[in-house]
Amino acid sequence: MILRLLQSVAVVFSAATLAFVLLQLAPGDPTTALGEGITPELRATIRAQYGLDDSLATQYGRWLWSLVRGDWGWSRDQHRPVAAVLADALPRSLFLMGCALIVNVVGGMLIGAWQGARAGSRRDRTTSTALLVLCSLPEFWLALVLLVVFVHQLGWLPATGITDEMSRYMSTRQQFVDRVRHLVLPLTSLSLVGIAVFARYQRDAMQESMTQPFVRTARAKGLTESAVRRQAWRSALLPVITLTGLMLPTLVTGAVFVERVFAWPGMGFAMIRAIEARDYPVVSAGVIVGSAVTALGAALADIAREIADPRLRTP
Amino acid sequence: MIVTVPAEPSTLFPPLLSGTQGAAIVGVLFDRLAEIGDGLETYGDRGFQPRLATSWSWSNDSLSIAFALDSLARWHDGQPVTAEDVRYTFRVYTSDSLVVELRSLLGNIDSVSVRDPRTAIFWFKRRMPRQFYDATYHMYMLPSHLLDTIPMSALESAPFGRHPVGTGRFRFARWEPGQRIEIIADTANSRGRAKLDRVIWSIAPDFGASTVKLFAGEADFLELLRPENLAQVARTPTLRLIDNRALSYGFLGFNFRDRTDPSLPNVMFSDPRVRRALHMAVDRERLVRNVFDSVGMVALAPAPRALIPDTAAFTQVPYNVAAAKALLDSAGWRDSNNDGVRDRDGVPLAFSILIPSSSTSRQRYAVLLQEQYRAIGVQATPQVLENNAWNEATYETHAFDAYLGAYQPSPGLVGLLQTWASRGSSNAGRYDSPAFDALLDSALTTFDPATSRRYWARAFQQIDDDVPAVWLYEQRSPVAINRRFITTPLRADSWFVGLADWRVDPAQRIDRDRIGLGTPP
Repeated sequence: MILRLLQSVAVVFSAATLAFVLLQLAPGDPTTALGEGITPELRATIRAQYGLDDSLATQYGRWLWSLVRGDWGWSRDQHRPVAAVLADALPRSLFLMGCALIVNVVGGMLIGAWQGARAGSRRDRTTSTALLVLCSLPEFWLALVLLVVFVHQLGWLPATGITDEMSRYMSTRQQFVDRVRHLVLPLTSLSLVGIAVFARYQRDAMQESMTQPFVRTARAKGLTESAVRRQAWRSALLPVITLTGLMLPTLVTGAVFVERVFAWPGMGFAMIRAIEARDYPVVSAGVIVGSAVTALGAALADIAREIADPRLRTP
Repeated sequence: MIVTVPAEPSTLFPPLLSGTQGAAIVGVLFDRLAEIGDGLETYGDRGFQPRLATSWSWSNDSLSIAFALDSLARWHDGQPVTAEDVRYTFRVYTSDSLVVELRSLLGNIDSVSVRDPRTAIFWFKRRMPRQFYDATYHMYMLPSHLLDTIPMSALESAPFGRHPVGTGRFRFARWEPGQRIEIIADTANSRGRAKLDRVIWSIAPDFGASTVKLFAGEADFLELLRPENLAQVARTPTLRLIDNRALSYGFLGFNFRDRTDPSLPNVMFSDPRVRRALHMAVDRERLVRNVFDSVGMVALAPAPRALIPDTAAFTQVPYNVAAAKALLDSAGWRDSNNDGVRDRDGVPLAFSILIPSSSTSRQRYAVLLQEQYRAIGVQATPQVLENNAWNEATYETHAFDAYLGAYQPSPGLVGLLQTWASRGSSNAGRYDSPAFDALLDSALTTFDPATSRRYWARAFQQIDDDVPAVWLYEQRSPVAINRRFITTPLRADSWFVGLADWRVDPAQRIDRDRIGLGTPP
């Protein structure tokens, strides 16, 4: 466990360092991001004030020392602490991606298990083809199609944002409905593809599980078909658990394209803005959070796999 | 009214405002001492309207101006506006501890003193035609009673930048990061309550998302429409266009020095015949029609028409392809190996044109220029760079041959010293003309308007003849607005100046117009 923890810390540290160095090597700096009307004198003043003229090693050391003291730094682009930037963006991504993950996992498992239990049938083949098509669609393209159909043509749903601009002036019930209406399109964009991915994994695992000797034994013992499928399904959970673990980081990194299309101000939105503005502290903080959750997701997936399949438990 | 914007401002602290983001919000929350007139006249105090100052008087030697403040003016927290606020504002804008973009424009103001609580006096180092403009145009007044206990170096991080308190006819309500900024009518304002109850700036991640909000009816107003959106606005029954004379111009700039070794002249563009030929080969009128259709005009000089004192007083380089070819021949650039590209001493007449990835119109321009240059045996290759890389290559390292740039000059054209004078720090192509420098200096410092106009005409003629760039376009920037709003004329430099007098047609009100100033349930 301790070894695992140390490995995770090393992964997070390496990812953050890499992000810091790569961003510094990219053309420009926070002063070039200010645009065409900024004089070279002003750029020089800003560089001096923020220590951007210092060597890469000095800047890295300064950033690392702040981090060790628990200071995430200052966002030069947003004129506020990096912690405040993350505190705004993170919950929004957690909400959208959390909803998407739940819908993906539940929907994918149900469809996949249903298919796997009927593997090879006509209905299975039809569903597989439909899922394959969905899997192949880029999320941003799907998002744009949904936008055109449900916003511009049908006018049923709002196009952008988390809430209506006037939501503050609505009743609690209206605010709830408004929030759900704003969630529909981004969630659908993320879920249609996500469900298809999870279902394909679940179907293959379920199909394989249904051919295992313990399923034959269960049937021989006279268990009902639904009870047999439940047994097989539990055994077929491992790939889905692994995939869920791998998907956990998206909870905090957000979905860049979908957030952009639907103007959802989450982490993807914040990171793109920070990269364009060469806001190094925000990008580094985002990478640290993302890589930490990746390491955490992998660890949680291992634990969940061991719970689901006792054979994987280490003595 | 809901205004959609393609980016979020960094701060609402006026001295630290950079670029256009947030300018409109700050412009309606805060006030200047006096407001420039619609004609954007910068000589003396002609055309200026009282704002926080109700009147002003010049000293006999014209080296000081005393501003009498409006005794009824109040900050949004109810405190009176005092001369101390004016003095404090000047201190902040000129502080060494802050990075204030406009600081260099305040160089002629020596100090600000307080005669009494209602009178602030600006003291100048030299008599200049634009003293009054310098004192009033660049600075929005700040509340010293809220800020003067904060060290200057800490003002950048002070909460004031996200919860501003001004004197405008709108007051700040809230800022939800990444989502919206809301301002509401200041009901106690001495100049009268704003006619709109509230204005919300709805923040989108990019221009595309902004247009989605507009066409989906989620926003009422979008500034800086792109030409490709104009037809869609015309087809949308709830929207209309308002013409707006933007003060921007675009150009193809040439580098006079070698892109790798600045001590050497550029082998192509140091020769005025080549630059002139490259200008003559461009059908600017056709390019403007192609890219901007009816919302663009050919630029005449490094300034938009609205700021040029007399547009008929200088002549343009004509469009003449045959003459362009002859000029290149005479300069020794001929196609010696019949590959379609002219060359001289083994060097092909070929260069790349740097374009920032954010500008679709400049990208279209580059492709069209490439075609027009191909016709005279010049190989121009558009090279799109990410914005930071483009800024670095043009203004930092000068590692380019040609670039498509755009500027938005302020009234008074004092920015020309920075962009095109030989020692101008933003003179990316390192154009160096003592004659132009002298004429520009004379135009800016001459008190007699008629004489100044003559200097301006000669300065523009000089730079047009020198061809440091091909002046390509002036973009009119119509704004899209919902038809239910009744507006005042837009001022070219700041569309938002009359925002407090905009109103909703009572017959066309929709639900969100009827909320009033009510607080959330």
